[in-house]
Amino acid sequence: MRRRKRDPQEILPPPVRIVAIVVLAVLVLIPLAYTLLLSVTPDAEVGTGSLIPSQWAFGNYIQMWSTVSLAQGLGNSLIVSGIASVIAVILAVGAAYILTRFTFRGRLSYLYSLVGLQTVPNVMLLLPLFVLFASTQAAIHIRLVGTYPAVIITYLTFALPFATWLLVSYLGSIPVDLEEAALVDGATRLQTLRLIIVPLALPGLVVALVFAFLTGWNDVLFASVLTSTETRTLAVQLQAFSSAQEGGALPLYGQLMGAAVVSALPVVILYMAFQRYLVGGLTAGGVKG
Amino acid sequence: MSIQQPIPEATPATTVVVRTARNRSGIFGGRPMWLIWPSIVLLVVIIGIPLLIAIYISFLNLDQYTLRSWISAPWVGLSNYITALTAGNVIGASALTSLGVSLAFSLLTTLFITPIGILAALTVNTTYGGRTLVRSLYLIPYVIPTFVTALVWRQMFLNGTGLVDRFLAAIHVANINTYWLLGPNSFWAMVIADTWASWAFIYIMVLAGLQSISHEVYEAADIDGANAWQKLTRVVLPQLRHILGLALLLSTLYHFNNFTLPFVMFGTPPPLQADVLPLNIYVSSFQLFNFGLGAAMSVITLIIMLIPGFVYLRALRLGEVTAS
Repeated sequence: MRRRKRDPQEILPPPVRIVAIVVLAVLVLIPLAYTLLLSVTPDAEVGTGSLIPSQWAFGNYIQMWSTVSLAQGLGNSLIVSGIASVIAVILAVGAAYILTRFTFRGRLSYLYSLVGLQTVPNVMLLLPLFVLFASTQAAIHIRLVGTYPAVIITYLTFALPFATWLLVSYLGSIPVDLEEAALVDGATRLQTLRLIIVPLALPGLVVALVFAFLTGWNDVLFASVLTSTETRTLAVQLQAFSSAQEGGALPLYGQLMGAAVVSALPVVILYMAFQRYLVGGLTAGGVKG
Repeated sequence: MSIQQPIPEATPATTVVVRTARNRSGIFGGRPMWLIWPSIVLLVVIIGIPLLIAIYISFLNLDQYTLRSWISAPWVGLSNYITALTAGNVIGASALTSLGVSLAFSLLTTLFITPIGILAALTVNTTYGGRTLVRSLYLIPYVIPTFVTALVWRQMFLNGTGLVDRFLAAIHVANINTYWLLGPNSFWAMVIADTWASWAFIYIMVLAGLQSISHEVYEAADIDGANAWQKLTRVVLPQLRHILGLALLLSTLYHFNNFTLPFVMFGTPPPLQADVLPLNIYVSSFQLFNFGLGAAMSVITLIIMLIPGFVYLRALRLGEVTAS
């Protein structure tokens, strides 16, 4: 008689574990399944008696592109989040290098403020930035509100501290011995940064880039105030589309859910594909709403 | 694929172990300090100065007419603060009411997600076939963009036709015509949606903590004949005390600052019961154009955030870790 060797880490008995997994999975999946179902339901049938539509309206996924300027929103989101995240990572890697390799006055205050800044409510920064942009453009007649640079600058307010913070912990884990070898061989500090640190920290850089990008991609607050019709990001586009369904003749819920699926799917796939690299960052910046 | 997080017990996810080359810099020439200057300048310009401006604006009577020359807008002292705490804006709640909503929302959500997150972490702490799939599944609600979560739950809670009303009517718990996006229920709609979206945060933190507990501790508990419940409450949870405390703090901060979910779920103006502080500031500032009032509410928010923020900074213990 051999007894099953029990894993000492096991706390939940297997039957309890299986029940728990099933319950959690069902709770996770119901809203997702409902969304997918609605996205292929003809608009006229959303809200009628049965949940299962009489016919599959895969056309929702085609029509929605002309109902809302989804393509434009996607493009705008890619541009502003892309540029902001690249700027943030480039500046952050320089800052993180100095913060991890040298001691200097104010270093600890800088590290503290990086974290502290993440507790500042976003809306608190939006207000003065908006006032600054609005009064500047009135004074010098250059349009700022509604343009890409205005949005990119505001995205940097959280992308930069966050990217720096991630890279400080990443660069801190790279041993200095390698650099010292290069320095002995006559490399300059900048060469060591470019030829040794950056290649070694590449996974960290990518993680920082992805998170900086996603904060922009997911933002509604800044973009809803600082974008115009032409520069609207995907998130704002969808929010406007959603509120336009109120009191309309026929709410286009099918297409709305289709658009929601299209906005979420790339992000979900990205996480699933690079889970092991990205999960750590999920908790590092869990403060910002 | 597995979730890998180098979180030893008693040090949070964001701990920085920094090795400095303080004595070596002299040997290898100058320190390229200019690498950090662009960041410092940018942070001062886009965060530091705006924060000061926000405080200044909170003492002004600033609206869309005086915006052009905001520096010379009329100084009104503390009157914005008094309005914020007593009257609020025309269509919304006062800052004090909103503060109550925000506090209840962030604390309740955190309270709900904690047991779910711990339970979920316990289900994947041992190896078995299909564990990777389960882990991926757990992450999905958390990684979906918040504006999509809000759209999904708005649809779920739609009056009469949404899945929630249909389900409640089918099991004869509530009338099919129950309103979730208006009135008192809106608060609960918001809590449920946010609970669904964010429990994985606790799950990730607890899982990282669980995996850092050494194998011997579990074995010792087994040898002593502890049952599952004893193992959890007497052995595991005490070891997770620190990381769990940090997770609860961060979660509360996160939910307190959550603007996107109520904004997209309810639109503006939101129902009074869902008028969280960030949303109230937004409506006051950008829809009623009472920038002074919005700024006063922001400052109040910042002061409240300072307390948990300070606790968080203390918990990080940056100084001790980086002093090496």
